Amino acid sequence: MAFTGNLKNSFYRSWTQWLLVLTMGALIASCTKNKKEEYGLDIRETLRININTEPPSLDWNKATDTTSSTVTVNIMDGLAQYDLNDPELKLLPALAESWEPSEKAKVWTFKLRKGVKWTDGVEFTAQHVIDGWERLLNSSTASEYAYFLFSVKNAQNYFEKKVKDFGEVGVKATDPYTLVVTLNQPASFFPYLTTHHSTYPIRKDLIQKFGDQWPEAGNMVSLGAYKLKVWEHDKAIVLERNDDYYGGKAKIKNILAYMIVEGSTALNLFETGKLDSQHEIPSVELSKYKERKEIREKPALILQYYGFNTKKAPTNNVLVRKAIAHAIDKSEIVSILGGGQVPLTSWIPVGMMGYEPDIGLKFDVEKAKEYLAKAGYPDGKKLPRLVIGLNTNEDHKRVAENIQGQLKRNLGIDVEIQNEEWKTYLNRLKVDPPNVFRMGWQADYPDPDNFMNLMTSTSENNRTGWKNSGFDKLVNDAVSLTDNSKRKELYSKAQRLLLEEGVAAVPLYSSVRHKLVADRVVNYPINVMDLLVYKYTSLKE
Amino acid sequence: MRLKALLWPVVGIIFSSTLVLSFLNFGGPLVTFLNWATIGSLLFALGYFVIAQQMLVYVSKRLVEAALTLFVIATMTFLMLRFLPGGPFDSEKALPPEVKANIEAKYGLNDPVAIQYKNYMFNLLRGDLGESYKYLGRSVSDIVGEAFPVSLKLGIYALIISFIVGIPLGVLAAAKHNTYVDNALMVLAMSGVAVPSFLTAPILIIIFSFWLNWLPPALWDGPEYYIMPVIVLGVRPAAYIARLTRASVLEVIQADFVRTARAKGLPQTMILFKHVLRNSLIPVLTYAGPLIAGILSGTFVVEVIFAVPGMGRHFVLSVTNRDYPLVLALTLLFGSLLVVANLVVDILYGVIDPRIRVKGSS
Repeated sequence: MAFTGNLKNSFYRSWTQWLLVLTMGALIASCTKNKKEEYGLDIRETLRININTEPPSLDWNKATDTTSSTVTVNIMDGLAQYDLNDPELKLLPALAESWEPSEKAKVWTFKLRKGVKWTDGVEFTAQHVIDGWERLLNSSTASEYAYFLFSVKNAQNYFEKKVKDFGEVGVKATDPYTLVVTLNQPASFFPYLTTHHSTYPIRKDLIQKFGDQWPEAGNMVSLGAYKLKVWEHDKAIVLERNDDYYGGKAKIKNILAYMIVEGSTALNLFETGKLDSQHEIPSVELSKYKERKEIREKPALILQYYGFNTKKAPTNNVLVRKAIAHAIDKSEIVSILGGGQVPLTSWIPVGMMGYEPDIGLKFDVEKAKEYLAKAGYPDGKKLPRLVIGLNTNEDHKRVAENIQGQLKRNLGIDVEIQNEEWKTYLNRLKVDPPNVFRMGWQADYPDPDNFMNLMTSTSENNRTGWKNSGFDKLVNDAVSLTDNSKRKELYSKAQRLLLEEGVAAVPLYSSVRHKLVADRVVNYPINVMDLLVYKYTSLKE
Repeated sequence: MRLKALLWPVVGIIFSSTLVLSFLNFGGPLVTFLNWATIGSLLFALGYFVIAQQMLVYVSKRLVEAALTLFVIATMTFLMLRFLPGGPFDSEKALPPEVKANIEAKYGLNDPVAIQYKNYMFNLLRGDLGESYKYLGRSVSDIVGEAFPVSLKLGIYALIISFIVGIPLGVLAAAKHNTYVDNALMVLAMSGVAVPSFLTAPILIIIFSFWLNWLPPALWDGPEYYIMPVIVLGVRPAAYIARLTRASVLEVIQADFVRTARAKGLPQTMILFKHVLRNSLIPVLTYAGPLIAGILSGTFVVEVIFAVPGMGRHFVLSVTNRDYPLVLALTLLFGSLLVVANLVVDILYGVIDPRIRVKGSS
């Protein structure tokens, strides 16, 4: 018996020993991990950010989403770039040294920078820009942003194969460093388009060599402050400083971008010092972080609005629309959201040229009741059932319920809320929009045209059925002007047509972005367009 | 006989060494070899058993059935996706009609559904699952090929934990039937089944990441990152297995052969683990089929909370993105896992309880 006892003991001892060795091993491993991040990066010279999801595409001709553009904006440059220190985001030269309009902004001449090299040493020329634009407009590329350059002469015809020769499209290189662009009609905002990733230059030779795989790490070459070093799909991207960048070396050596879907997970990592910034704070968590010194708040060029289906009873009656617009107190909505949003009655959001707070119908219960009575529904009696449509989302639901309550309280009318999954909802808006529907718009470029164009008769994004040739003309005329005060005048008239006479929509608020930025980060990019350009950001020792 | 006696220990050693090395994140040719050796030896063991039990006809019948099942799954999923309102290229910023038509033409989405179905099925037969609509330039096989091993790794550890913890606890509870040990264990198991992972995960994160600072709250970089997700994923099946085992052991413990064993004067532990347990494992095994398929194919909640780059998120996001090829690939993968796991379980019935014989074996 004693013998078996010994055996038993030695058996246990050997197991506990193994366990000890394993735990020691794990401990040592975890200790060494703290000094170096994955991919062998030194934390002291690595900015760790969260880009939320796998970028759908780093092919800048094809990408359409903000995650992808957060990466491309750091590895590539356009002809022009935004001045991130300027509150109005004026343009600065980038790959183009200068540009000049002629013929009232119908022809634009870009002088390109000389001696700029791609990350593989090839020199950048105007042909790379033309190649990029050709590829964007070539229907076989099937880019969603092809329409971005439709303002260029013959561009749309080339896309639709009505013009076979790209030579007929209005973009020419008169020499390797001069690009002349001819537009269909004058457009003062045109240089803004060259900041957008879809219009960046490309290297046709690499695309021919690697096909669809050209944006992978190792294949891709670029012109920006950083270059793509690692792309581990669905997990992380590593960007490394481009030491030969024409605009001066970036301050931080590496950017490690994780793809963390869940906001609260990213917050946990931020709190335990594994992330240097987090851009999305779930609204339920916001109150917890509001007092922290790491919080940054910035208005965003995002308009949230309720559109009317002007073809469907009872919202086909402009008096009903006016009554509803007057009956909604936007400050109440903003206070239940509690994220510092700005109540809005005008179409152009806060922080953009053309914003005028007094445009649009104001909260006024008496007027609202009056309009409803005039429409033939005194005290909301006999009003056909109204439906508010929205896509399923916690914040949107809270807003809709608040508006439901306000309409009941102020007008005595009952509305029904119908929420649907996002793509189902988009389909509904296309096929049969509800009386009132939630929508939003985020600026593609910080110019009022981007917002005003939304509601023109030909816009695919105008789901209201409201068409007004006067409005179309005002918006069209404003684009060709270079004098901002005159443009503002036209936009103010157009907004009044849209919101006070036609009442095709009710603006609700413009959004505010909140970010957490760690103490050790200096000069983190915070701007109305939410462009995450990291070349000026640095880390404290 | 000698071969059979050697089989399980060899498989066991290969399997466990692969598990340990893989957990510690070792790479290189040795681990690759071990991975393949594990798969090979498991298949060999299974094949050996199938032949020994003369189940070849039965297994081939089941495989034909499986192929038919998968065909029906593929067809149903394909049709259901086409009837879902909203398409892959609907977005907040509506595209000009000519741009959208051009993109849809590229993916053949403007063809009649019958043609699309025919093309899809022919491609599927050639093993081509197509290209993702959302992640441009990436084939669906690449996406699944990168995410599946991660979910597999997480899933295997969670499964092992749940069996290692669940079965002994179940036996213990049954052996101490109606005592405070039994009651305590069953309360624990009941809460394990009832408490959802989106609650256990944050609790563990608060304790181990925020208070004790022992483990990272998320990400997937090495052994210390694996611990919490594995535990959270393993808790519920462990609890469920404990309850199943207990109930089953309680039933078997009253059988005549157990009374005989007691009468012979065998020690209690030997009766429990040698005679009772083996006969009690049938319900656990039945539960294991769907459990294995479900856990190995990734779980949305655990993977999202711990930022694990596995399959879980794709199951949800591919549908909201209307990424048809990815949805179809995931459905087929899950379907195949389920079918295979159930087949393996059916074969294992015979290993556990030789009295069980299937139709088709002579």
